[in-house]
Amino acid sequence: MRIASGGVTDLGRVRTNNEDCYKIVEPLNLFVLSDGMGGEAHGEIASAMAVETVVKHCLDVEANPAAQVIGPVEPRWSVRTKRLSTAVHLANRNIFKSAEENPERHGMGATLTAVWIDEAKLSIAHVGDSRAYLLRGGSLLQLTRDHSLVAEQVRRGILTAVEAEKSEMQSVLLRALGAQGEIEVDAEEHTLFPRDVLLLCSDGLTRMVTEPEIAGTLQAETDPGRAAKKLVALANERGGPDNITVVIARLEKDSEGWFSWWRRGARKNLSSNGGTGGN
Amino acid sequence: MPKLSLMFDNKIVKVVPVGSRPVTIGRSPDNDLPVDNLAVSNHHAKVYFEAGRMVVEDLDSLNGTFVNDLRVERATLHDGDNIHIGKHKIKVDASGDAPLAWDTGRKAAAPRIDETMVLDTKERRQMLQQAAAMGESMQFAGTRMKVPTLVVLRGKTDQKEYVLTNKLTVIGKSALATVRLQGWFKPRMAAQINQRDDGYYLGPGDKVPNVNGAPISGPVLLNDGDVVEVSGVRLNFVFRE
Repeated sequence: MRIASGGVTDLGRVRTNNEDCYKIVEPLNLFVLSDGMGGEAHGEIASAMAVETVVKHCLDVEANPAAQVIGPVEPRWSVRTKRLSTAVHLANRNIFKSAEENPERHGMGATLTAVWIDEAKLSIAHVGDSRAYLLRGGSLLQLTRDHSLVAEQVRRGILTAVEAEKSEMQSVLLRALGAQGEIEVDAEEHTLFPRDVLLLCSDGLTRMVTEPEIAGTLQAETDPGRAAKKLVALANERGGPDNITVVIARLEKDSEGWFSWWRRGARKNLSSNGGTGGN
Repeated sequence: MPKLSLMFDNKIVKVVPVGSRPVTIGRSPDNDLPVDNLAVSNHHAKVYFEAGRMVVEDLDSLNGTFVNDLRVERATLHDGDNIHIGKHKIKVDASGDAPLAWDTGRKAAAPRIDETMVLDTKERRQMLQQAAAMGESMQFAGTRMKVPTLVVLRGKTDQKEYVLTNKLTVIGKSALATVRLQGWFKPRMAAQINQRDDGYYLGPGDKVPNVNGAPISGPVLLNDGDVVEVSGVRLNFVFRE
């Protein structure tokens, strides 16, 4: 499967520094997003550290398949899911350690949502309240659970989803990287369908833009970079109170069968015609 | 995270965390906490969270489940409690269920909406308990272990029934679909179901499904007993005990 991707991170309209961070590693089909927290510039340090650790580990294990797996894993998981989960555990340790060693960094932390795509299999590892969605056949499907107090209350039937959206406690997280030495990571895998669209975002998007609007934008704008910009612009139009980060990856089916072979041939002819025309 | 430690002769045999899924205890090896002893039933008891509290429930075991030496059918567990099953003891550790104190320098009474913070263990438990107490009365009706299931009422599919175990369920002809439709001219991906915080949502795929006879206009929350129709297949969405 071919993947087209793009991402945008934006300060928003109120904050003075951007504590969000993301990275797309195209050769690996790895997508990582983090939203940092903590005073001064420490949120930025935490989210950058989170993204860097995950990316570095995933690149390293490609070269060193014998690398140690950290944290609980399920035997049925693919190698990549295990590595991705390990990478998030490592990121947590790094941030926690850095905060322990540097008193001024005490209290820094970060969310992390990472997706690694290998052919038709998607591996995901997640901590915090950033989100991953799949747009599939017109429906926007949420792949992650927010580790926030209000989401937990919804899961326990204490709040409704609508009450949770209005709650003043939305910023209270139950889990984040860096808060303690060891952490529970949500890791899972899913089977991908041709034409699925993956979206990762920080809460700066989902607090300001509704899910039908996100689905509509992804359907209307097929260029990942432009779709990400449009979503960020929409959040900013509504005040942009927080940093906004959007990463989009579109799965495009590899051409197959005689029909596409014929189309490829036609395109080749077209381009060679164009070449001749230029001469 | 809260933990259960299986003890035998005052030694820890196994430790399991208690998370969103129930921890099952019994002699059969498919339990989360297997206890290899003839006095223990195959599926003896389970421990799970309900309305913010950790609960142990005896699964009609032959020799019973005891909490601090009292035989119980069902009981709320507290930090330091001991569950006795056969000759084994299970220690309950209800602490450490959340990240440590976040910003110790700034213990604001109420968190500001624009500032993300992480709750410390004690605060988190108190908050959830308070909230649980408020919602208690409406809570109890629906909190038994419920397994969401799609039962095929009409149409050709590869199974008669599907237990929804994943966040994503695809209904369609595709080989990758969970509920596989059979027959000519069936769409590859007719509809899909997404598990979210408050339940299971049905959304359109290549087709717009009907719920209880009416076409859906976007993702809808499925209720126990709903009838879903799509591409000539009729499915009953039910929560099984």
